[in-house]
Amino acid sequence: MVPFYLLFPVSIVAGFIGAMAGMGGGVVLIPALTLLGVDIKHAIAVSILSVIATSSGSASAYVRDHITNLKIGMFLEMFTIVGALTGAAITLAVSSRPLYILFGCVLLGSWIALLVSAEHQSGQAGPQDRTSRWLELEGSYYDLSVGRTIDYQARRAYLGAPLMFAAGVIAGLLGIGAGAVKVLIHDLVMGLPPKVSTTTSNLIIGVTALAGTSVYLVHGLIDPGLAAPVILGVVAGAFVGTRLLVRLSNQSVRKFFLVVLIGLAIEMIVRGIRGH
Amino acid sequence: MADDRKIPERTQTVPPPSRDAQMDALVGYLLLSGVSLSMALIAVGLLWHRLRTGTFHLAYPIEGMNLFEFLLAEIRIAGQDRLRPQTLVDAGIAVLLLTPYLRVLASMLYFLFAQRNWKYSLFTAVVLGVLTFSLFLR
Repeated sequence: MVPFYLLFPVSIVAGFIGAMAGMGGGVVLIPALTLLGVDIKHAIAVSILSVIATSSGSASAYVRDHITNLKIGMFLEMFTIVGALTGAAITLAVSSRPLYILFGCVLLGSWIALLVSAEHQSGQAGPQDRTSRWLELEGSYYDLSVGRTIDYQARRAYLGAPLMFAAGVIAGLLGIGAGAVKVLIHDLVMGLPPKVSTTTSNLIIGVTALAGTSVYLVHGLIDPGLAAPVILGVVAGAFVGTRLLVRLSNQSVRKFFLVVLIGLAIEMIVRGIRGH
Repeated sequence: MADDRKIPERTQTVPPPSRDAQMDALVGYLLLSGVSLSMALIAVGLLWHRLRTGTFHLAYPIEGMNLFEFLLAEIRIAGQDRLRPQTLVDAGIAVLLLTPYLRVLASMLYFLFAQRNWKYSLFTAVVLGVLTFSLFLR
């Protein structure tokens, strides 16, 4: 059992770094917990529980700002929660080694995404397809930076839905929010404005994490002794991190996170290959 | 906090409140109070445990229970006047799990009664159904 004086600060740092980098706490939390000696499946279970807290915490602010699209959120949640249940079931069935390697690969992917950091344009061109129109996937929000209301329509829901299922599998499997994947799908496939896609994905993450958590809970992988300090730490860290986000220069945050990510990625993959 | 980049500071100049806006506000407060309550319960539980035992170290398993069995067990203990620090921690975890669940429930009532949107009432019911199933899972 990892002592509290280690667990709590490590969780604060994980939540802090996660929020600063615009990623969930899980990406840093899980490798950190396994380094402290926590079994990876327990780390995944407690991480996905803390994802409920961080995503709901930030979703609350955005929902009140009227940027989040509840309809798009509800429609896509149908797919992500089934994905999360599938993912969590896979985690329970497999041994730890492939989980380490897979997690390392996800970290590597995030590292590459951050390195390239392409300011992707959301594909707003072309008319809305019939499926998306039937699904009423549209909305408007008040953009403070330009000072006017922006109307938008989502596209290619038929493609977005199965991809969101896949994002749900990743979330349930590895105990992370997989927010970056969801935002990419929203932006590139469905053509949502960036603000709408980030906030709506936050709403989806909470419900998806709940589905994953329920599987881990019933299999006794949620350990309250581990969960209590970790959740408190991650939420506290994320709280501070979100507020600092505006003040610190993006470039220094990015460089710092690049180093952290590649280090954790290599460490996880090596552990997976060596088997302990 | 997963995706909180590029969100500007909140200001007062948002469009006039509509029914949608009221729903957004309701969902927002629901999420915020759920998480706050959960954090408070866990924090108080841990501190109480610390005062009692001199350590923050809590060691007890939740042995393969789904959320509803878990809640029932907690209520039983609380009803027997045997409130322990771990009851508070467990309650905190339960509140955390119920927060997104109640959010979906609120959304369904909204689509059903405020919007009378059958399509989305159905979609939300599917989400609620799958979540309920998963929380009853054995």
